[in-house]
Amino acid sequence: MKQITEVIRQIEVFQGLSAPQLEQVAGMIRRESYNSGDVIIQQDDDSDSMYMIGQGQVEVRQRGARGEQRTTLFLGEGQIFGELALLDQGFRTATVVADEEPTVLYKLTRNDFETLCTTDSVLGYLIMRNIALDLAFKLRHQNLDN
Amino acid sequence: MIYKVSYVIVGEPHKGGIKNQYERPEVGGRVRFGNEYYEITEVHEIMPPRDDFQFLHATARPAPRKKTAPLTRPEEPPSTA
Repeated sequence: MKQITEVIRQIEVFQGLSAPQLEQVAGMIRRESYNSGDVIIQQDDDSDSMYMIGQGQVEVRQRGARGEQRTTLFLGEGQIFGELALLDQGFRTATVVADEEPTVLYKLTRNDFETLCTTDSVLGYLIMRNIALDLAFKLRHQNLDN
Repeated sequence: MIYKVSYVIVGEPHKGGIKNQYERPEVGGRVRFGNEYYEITEVHEIMPPRDDFQFLHATARPAPRKKTAPLTRPEEPPSTA
């Protein structure tokens, strides 16, 4: 668990958390490893968790108007995806595929996230604020070449 | 310091990517997305730094393919002597 704590300390979503809070979060996070080309989440599937990229890179794909898959974005180390699952419980908005071997991810489920927010509202506020900041950064990225 | 960089690719259907890195990207440097390499053409700050993070925007374009050296020596020019 110490290793997970060290990794998530470098992830923006967990900036501002104290050492005990990081330990608490690390206890709820599961490490997963993928090979290049593995599908991690699929567009339109149910969602129940957010992923953080500890190592490697992922490719984000969305279906176009004619049903064809098109790459919209690449996300590298320290980035998160699937965060909408923690907020609105809606379907996945994109397919995410591992782009490097290995791609190491850290997964936090919605149930565990809600438990964290209920038991420690300050911790919940910090993570929610950081998710909002990450979404703002992604929005700026999308708008930069418009 | 961790640099969170938004890379926007000019001349590709996708909009590039976002990654954290420990070294600040420099104009002329290279970045990889998928199977392709891109050359960085512009870097600037996108918002003020916060905690351990600095937030940057970089523009990049497909990197030119490296030329390979010829396999054989070019012929000697004819002697004028």
